[in-house]
Amino acid sequence: MRYGRILAGELHKAATLPAVWGGVAGALLGALAVTLLNSVAARAALENGRAEAWGSTSPFENAYAAMPLTVVGAVVLGVVVISSEYTANRADAGGGRQIATTLTVTPYRIQVLAAKAITVVVGVMVIAPATLLVTVGLARLVIGGGAETVSVTAAVTRCLGGTLYATLTGLIAFAVTVLTRSGILPLLVLIMNSTLVSGSLLLTKLTPLAHWLPDLAGRRLFGGLDTVDGGLAPLPGAIVMSGWTLALLVIAGAVFSRRDA
Amino acid sequence: MPRWWGRTGIVGVLLIDQVVKRRGSRTVLDRVTFAARPGRVTAFLGPNGAGKSSTLRILLGIDRADQGRALIGGRPYRSLREPLRTVGAMLDGVGAHRSRTAWSHLAWIARTHGIPRRRVREVLEQVGLAGHAGVRVGRYSLGMGQRLGLAAALLGEPEVLVLDEPVNGLDPEGIRWIRRLVRDHADAGGTVLLSSHLIGEVAGVADDLVIIANGRVVRTGTLAEVTAGHGDLEETFFALTGGAPGVGR
Repeated sequence: MRYGRILAGELHKAATLPAVWGGVAGALLGALAVTLLNSVAARAALENGRAEAWGSTSPFENAYAAMPLTVVGAVVLGVVVISSEYTANRADAGGGRQIATTLTVTPYRIQVLAAKAITVVVGVMVIAPATLLVTVGLARLVIGGGAETVSVTAAVTRCLGGTLYATLTGLIAFAVTVLTRSGILPLLVLIMNSTLVSGSLLLTKLTPLAHWLPDLAGRRLFGGLDTVDGGLAPLPGAIVMSGWTLALLVIAGAVFSRRDA
Repeated sequence: MPRWWGRTGIVGVLLIDQVVKRRGSRTVLDRVTFAARPGRVTAFLGPNGAGKSSTLRILLGIDRADQGRALIGGRPYRSLREPLRTVGAMLDGVGAHRSRTAWSHLAWIARTHGIPRRRVREVLEQVGLAGHAGVRVGRYSLGMGQRLGLAAALLGEPEVLVLDEPVNGLDPEGIRWIRRLVRDHADAGGTVLLSSHLIGEVAGVADDLVIIANGRVVRTGTLAEVTAGHGDLEETFFALTGGAPGVGR
């Protein structure tokens, strides 16, 4: 079987799964809402002549601050691409799972898993920049383009950094879900960790080694969104986070190719 | 006329050879051995939990055997290049995510094998789901799910059909339809292996029988061979599987 066909099948599967669109729509709406709140406050600060009170009045900064929500979207995508395979149908409808079909249609497990990972990468690489584009547009509408202080080059660099972070996080979510076969735990842990309370961040209070955890290692890929001092610089951080991702994917591949479906 | 019609050879022979499967300390399959041949309907019978699905899952490469081999035309399933064009399988109920429509389920399967959309429409017509192609699988009845599972199995016009409990949840008309479908398939030279715990529903259509109980094949042969010495298939079945009347119902 040509590899392109396995990939086409997986892309098709993801694109026709309502949960994927739910995740994308949720992340986009959340990002738009946060951007809107930020921008309205920034505009008010500008109008009152107290721009310095609201951190930054740059439309890009106010939109970029919503990018963690795109990361949530990436986590949802990474999780449901694989957890949907294991969702059981209603018991009175036979209770079957899609994984049996997937593995009889394409019994080449590593290729299937790689196709799913590529699906996550392609999805996030489309969603993240598109969301940023839309939110920056909204912020410029509210605040006004004249207030922009971030250069285009800096904006593009930070967009790429944020997209890389979201992509790697999506892949980590994917790899973990391959191991758990259910989306509930990874969704809960990863979304909480990237929105409400960062468990890894709390861990840095106990040991500086926590800076080497995947999410903290990569966090300087988000230029200008520093939360705590210390930790790895962007490039080594990206390398460490990629290393985690690769290691988890290799483990996921080894388990997926060996275990009974 | 099916694509494979008139082809001869061992492509359609299914061989389960000394397959052993353990789950923890339990042996769920104990040296299971049998074959299914082209031109014949082989019924794989046994009570619930006897090891029918476990055997078929190993044949289709979904689960691994601890010992032994399961081959399709002499090759393991996982080494088939375009499996749907050789084997059509229905396992584990409908095998579709519940939020998908029948159409989108069959469409992604078709994508992987370069099967045209026209064929998706054809199989939906064939199994009687054309009017429900846009309904989410989660809203299907058991019978409709079975029909969708069959549609997926037929999609690649395979020579071999492997169907796990295909009559489950079907109404009498549906059972009659599936009997005719497998009969026609075997008469056209195809191989059919179907499992069931409902002896009565498959007796009329089976050429060869394989009876399994507690993970062991207890009898194989033609219908006449297996029932020889007993009154009918039902009596034979209970005598061989040690089940109380009604267990296999």
